[in-house]
Amino acid sequence: MNSIDEFINYIQAMGWGKFIRIFWFFVFFELFRYLFVDVIMLLSHRMKLRLTRTKRAEALERFRFEAPLISIIIPGKNEGKHLYKLIRSLNEQTYKKIEIIVVDDGSDDDTPTIGRDLEKNGLIDLFLRNEIRGGKASAANLALRFTKGKYIIHLDADCSYDRDAIVEIILPFYLDENVGGVGGNVMIKNYKESLATTLQAIEYFDTISIGRVVSSHLGIYRIISGAFGAFRADVLEKIQGWDIGPGLDGDISVKIRKIGFGIKFAQNAVCLTNGPNTFRKLAKQRIRWDKSLIRFRLRKHKNVFYPNQGFSLANFISFTENITYNLILNVKWYIYFFQMIVFYSSQLEYIILINFFLYTFTNYFKFIFFSLFRPKSGSLVYYLPYIPLMVIYFGYYLRIIRTTAYLKEILFKASYNDPWNPPKTSRHAKELGL
Amino acid sequence: MSRAITIDNSKGTVHFGELVYLYLSPNRSVVLERSMDYAGIIVDGKNHHFARMVIQRIRGNFKPEIYLKPILILNGTAHREPFLRTLIDGTLFSFEQITLVHDHLGSIRQRIKDLNLIHSLSVEAQIITKLLAFMYTREVKELEPISYVYSNTNYTFPFVACHYPFDDEHTIFEVMKIAQEEGLFNSEFFDRTYSCSNCHSSHLNYREVCPKCQSPNAISEDLIHHFPCAYVGPISDFTNQLDDQLDCPKCSRRLRHIGVDYDKPSILHTCQKCTNTFQDFNVYAKCISCLYENPVELLIATDILRYTLTKKGEYAAINGFSSTPKDIEQIIGTVKYDTFKTMVKYEIERLKQTDGSSNIVVIKIVNAGDFYSKVSHDAQKVLLKEIVSEIRSSIRSSDMITFHSSSTILIAMNEIPKRISERITAEILQLLRTLIENNFKDFTIQLESNVSQLNYQLSADLQMDMVINAEVNE
Repeated sequence: MNSIDEFINYIQAMGWGKFIRIFWFFVFFELFRYLFVDVIMLLSHRMKLRLTRTKRAEALERFRFEAPLISIIIPGKNEGKHLYKLIRSLNEQTYKKIEIIVVDDGSDDDTPTIGRDLEKNGLIDLFLRNEIRGGKASAANLALRFTKGKYIIHLDADCSYDRDAIVEIILPFYLDENVGGVGGNVMIKNYKESLATTLQAIEYFDTISIGRVVSSHLGIYRIISGAFGAFRADVLEKIQGWDIGPGLDGDISVKIRKIGFGIKFAQNAVCLTNGPNTFRKLAKQRIRWDKSLIRFRLRKHKNVFYPNQGFSLANFISFTENITYNLILNVKWYIYFFQMIVFYSSQLEYIILINFFLYTFTNYFKFIFFSLFRPKSGSLVYYLPYIPLMVIYFGYYLRIIRTTAYLKEILFKASYNDPWNPPKTSRHAKELGL
Repeated sequence: MSRAITIDNSKGTVHFGELVYLYLSPNRSVVLERSMDYAGIIVDGKNHHFARMVIQRIRGNFKPEIYLKPILILNGTAHREPFLRTLIDGTLFSFEQITLVHDHLGSIRQRIKDLNLIHSLSVEAQIITKLLAFMYTREVKELEPISYVYSNTNYTFPFVACHYPFDDEHTIFEVMKIAQEEGLFNSEFFDRTYSCSNCHSSHLNYREVCPKCQSPNAISEDLIHHFPCAYVGPISDFTNQLDDQLDCPKCSRRLRHIGVDYDKPSILHTCQKCTNTFQDFNVYAKCISCLYENPVELLIATDILRYTLTKKGEYAAINGFSSTPKDIEQIIGTVKYDTFKTMVKYEIERLKQTDGSSNIVVIKIVNAGDFYSKVSHDAQKVLLKEIVSEIRSSIRSSDMITFHSSSTILIAMNEIPKRISERITAEILQLLRTLIENNFKDFTIQLESNVSQLNYQLSADLQMDMVINAEVNE
């Protein structure tokens, strides 16, 4: 009881000046960027949607009138078990003028049999198999080589799609002719499977469903998800497809931006994917993803910061924002944490507790308020008990993973040794600095 | 003591002692009916087509005096044809060599005399009878299919095949199946053949075709994966106009060393007709006869069997094989034998509950072989219908008739005293005799009958066997 009284007394005695001094990290970075800016941008985006309703209707009309062929490419290894469900979801699409190309990248399960069966029964247009695994990029490029459509949609086999997902992801091309690629809204399908998947679902609501609307609205959207991304065929031809991964979806998004095309996020183009169901698997996935920030942003595409190499302000801001909030602030957090230990060691327990309440309150507010701005997905009530855990998930679990990934990549160029990609190709990428 | 051989060129005959052989050559008109009067036929073997045509006509004839006639091939190489080799009885390189086969031919003629040839009910039954007779007279007990390029089914049984035109040759396997099901032959697997689902021909051209347009006209290319830039495409993407080197179309780097900077993960086919790109061909079998494109999974698979004559077959070879079950099952007014037997079982069960009297009547045509030989195949069926119609006119509509064989008729007369059944049976016999007398002036049919009262203490199977095999009353 005494502790609670002391804690309340501590808060009452703090005052705004001390509050900002101690919780500057939360106030200036987290609150400002991820709440204040998000709220303003979401309202602005909603306003823009209202104002451009007619334009949107006209774009839809033009799209339906033109009815272009859309090529859907599905590269993958050992994905046969997902293919029937995926194809069924694609056959349910409201837009029917599609061709489906599946590339089997050296599977050692029954994927070839399933793929051939789908092709024979006319459920897909082309099934290509590489007997020898070449990596995701090569499989996607092989599919790309045989596409005939005006737009290319890249899918992951373990996903499924809302009935209007194709229309929604293609529409931005008709709203703005400078758009070269569009990312879909990826949500977690198996959110009830485990704690890990539930927390991922809440994370995706925030960082993808809302976060990408904001970054797209600001013009700094930087990653078209590999699970659901659409591209103009001519733009892909110009950038000559995908380069070696991991992180090839972020890489291709940058390549598109660098040749002067915009990329957009289509919030209503909903794709459901299965997230890793254990924290161990999730850590493995995120380490792979996070390493690519160093590899692609700081190495391969570092010329975005060079004023003499086709400088683009939007790309510069996009990269700067990305590096600031993911790399620099990550380091800054450790400085903040160290500062607290050194200067406020006697108050540390109160500071941690207040931080917890601040973040939890903010998370509840964001989750409930932002739900007005994102597509419906299940009952909100289901997630509410899990929101307090997001402080640990975001603040500690993902932060530690991110730090580990950055260090591995900076010190050891670990992404080139990632078994996700065959060593024979990674070796060349490393030599060529790709 | 050697006998003199004389040749009558004007008549085309060869005289060997008291035996006269007919000599058939391409420059003489062939009248098969003439061959009946001769001890054998000598066919000129220089012209394969002629030899094949003549021998097929002889063996395909339905008169025993013709189809069983010994045939020799003279000169040429026609005897080397596997098809003809099984149909002839010897090869001569001069007329003088008749002396060498004389005993063999004599043996054939002697065995022909053993045969009690009957006129069978259906074409299939007639062909089976002929086959059995031919095998008996040639002392052949095994029948092995031969592979033959001029056969529409690739494998054939020459003697049976003589009865069918090229397009219907597949029917030979159905005939052999009937013979086997009748217990005349045992069989063992020899090979399997596939035939066109449209025309049954086995002359098929198996081809790898485009899965979209079924054209076999496709070119195949290696796919190349360039490691440094992840470009993948057919090798034609990498070739240049200047030299034999391969250059990556994405990053312009020259490909150096397979396995180091590039590899070939698979092969790609491009159809030259519809430009479809694919990796797996479909396999289609184009029928050479009717040009139908068969998906291989829809081809008709037929097991080719090797046959061995059974004891029953040997017996049927001498006494004839009058009908197949199919022949007598199709006669209107009768039920299948199995159905009849089931109904008898039910009747026995019913009798256990009641004190009624039910009877089975058996009527046998003793001289069935002679009887069926009097009429043509089609007329036989008409006659059987007439017989059934006469029987039906004498019994109640609830009574059932079945054929156990073409010579044994069974009638179930339920809920009727035995003495009345006997009276009705006598009336039926009289009606049948009258029917036959009216149709065949010079023929007397021999009929026997027996009436057996069903005993509910014995099984249906046992009582049926007893009825069929019982001594019958004339």
